[in-house]
Amino acid sequence: MEGLAPRPAARPAAIGDIVAMSVVVIAILVTMHVVSGFVPDYIMPSPAAVAKAGWKILTGDMLHVMATVGRLMLALLFSMVAGVLIGLIMGVSASIRPFLRALVVIDTGIPALSWILLAVFWFKDPEVRIFFILTMILLPFYALNTYDGIRALPKDLVDMIESFRPSRWQIVRYLIAPHIVPYILLTTKTVVGYATRMVIFAELVAAAVGIGSRMGLAQSSFHIDEVMAWTFLLVVLNMILQLIVSGVEKIALKWRPEASVR
Amino acid sequence: MSERPTFSNCAGVGTEPVIALDGVAKSFAGFRVIEDLSFRVRRGEIVTLLGRTGAGKTTVLNLVMGTLQPDAGSVRVAGHDPFLQFKALRGHMAVSFQTDRLLPWRTAVENAELGLLILGRPKREAREIAASWLDRVGLSGAENRYVHELSGGMRQRVSLARALAVDPELVLLDESFSQLDHITSSALRRDFCNLARQFEKTCLMVTHRIDDAIEMADRVIVLGAKARIRLEATVPSASAVGQTRDGLRRDIEIALGPEAEQESSQQERG
Ligand SMILES: Nc1ncnc2c1ncn2[C@@H]1O[C@H](COP(=O)(O)OP(=O)(O)OP(=O)(O)O)[C@@H](O)[C@H]1O
Ligand SMILES: [Mg+2]
Repeated sequence: MEGLAPRPAARPAAIGDIVAMSVVVIAILVTMHVVSGFVPDYIMPSPAAVAKAGWKILTGDMLHVMATVGRLMLALLFSMVAGVLIGLIMGVSASIRPFLRALVVIDTGIPALSWILLAVFWFKDPEVRIFFILTMILLPFYALNTYDGIRALPKDLVDMIESFRPSRWQIVRYLIAPHIVPYILLTTKTVVGYATRMVIFAELVAAAVGIGSRMGLAQSSFHIDEVMAWTFLLVVLNMILQLIVSGVEKIALKWRPEASVR
Repeated sequence: MSERPTFSNCAGVGTEPVIALDGVAKSFAGFRVIEDLSFRVRRGEIVTLLGRTGAGKTTVLNLVMGTLQPDAGSVRVAGHDPFLQFKALRGHMAVSFQTDRLLPWRTAVENAELGLLILGRPKREAREIAASWLDRVGLSGAENRYVHELSGGMRQRVSLARALAVDPELVLLDESFSQLDHITSSALRRDFCNLARQFEKTCLMVTHRIDDAIEMADRVIVLGAKARIRLEATVPSASAVGQTRDGLRRDIEIALGPEAEQESSQQERG
């Protein structure tokens, strides 16, 4: 139904999005304000209290934010590189493929919670724990999507490049690598929100520094205003990350006709 | 790297045909596409393959290119087996396919230089050569456009520039222009043949248009079902008496069979 409607032009849609977002945010704030007049502070603090807690975070707790973002970036980057490599090997080598595939399939079946608990048993260093948890969760997404990308390579283009009699490496460099870039970006776009939630969760259980552990602390000392402020901050952080990925996508996929970038 | 071996010094003998097929057979999943095909193409010759759709023309080109292996018989290109000695012919052959097959993430000039980069030419040199070929096929000014910003005819020209830029001794051309309108495709085919003659390329091309085949080729081979040769004829010069071009045209029409004319015009219209 929606797919049949003509696409609105880019600019009005962007303004429309901003208006809609503002309306929703204001509605949430008003609701919070009204509700906070009727219930105790430890259930629903007023927006003013949350703003105050937010300010405290921004001025005093940036180290924790940086730690979380840093962990997230490192794990995303590593999972991307390793996952793409595994996907490439799956795509190129028919003999290794079933084994790697079995590994990846098993990995995707293991719940995040298992990795978190196992990481606490296996590793002492909180950084290693979080890195391990995130990598185990994110890597299969990259591996599988890269493999899918390679399988979707048009036979026409493979024949074309083969007609110049290239080395295997040249096929990867001139054909496969550029072809899978959109798949990698799409994967990043879909996992970045999930990864943010996972790193917080992992920090809550496995680390003493970072947003997750600060939220745990706030909760155990009944500072619901801080929990709320962190939550708002995380929502904003997720939006910023999405914007960054979309920006990278726009630049990296500038060769695409306009319609498919949106 | 800069002194690439030529066909004559890699094959040893100058008189040897560039392409030689002997008793070639090929089936796909038990379905016989080529039964018993033999023909030769000499150095510097432009030979046109004509045939109804499904006759096996593209399959013949794939055999010559070495992406397919014959079930029986032998295929030789400059004395090499193009399938088993795949790498030996590196840089000696180029193909312009039935569709343009450009890489969408590369600009026109980046597509045109692809073959040169694969052959290990330095980046700047490859870029210069590719740009000069784009110029030659009439695309100067469009070098930095992405594929989706080019028209169908422009894409075919880029694809042609990509094939010719590697300076191959042998060019295979598969019916590349049939999706274009009649005037554009004829003009392109003519440009291509002029370039091929000017640079003394050996050339095996597939086309559906009898007129173009006669006008441009030295020799015409008409394939029937299962790629059986129905007619093989040298094209007489435009002023010839005796066997004339009109006579050849009639012979080709007969060899192609009754629906040939109708079919080829349908294909031009797409
Ligand atoms: N890879 C393949 N697998 C199975 N069958 C094939 C394959 N390639 C070609 N064929 C079959 O072989 C026959 C000849 O195909 P080919 O592409 O060589 O024809 P063509 O003469 O180039 O036709 P056109 O003029 O339509 O391009 C067709 O019947 C086709 O279905
Ligand atoms: Mg064909």
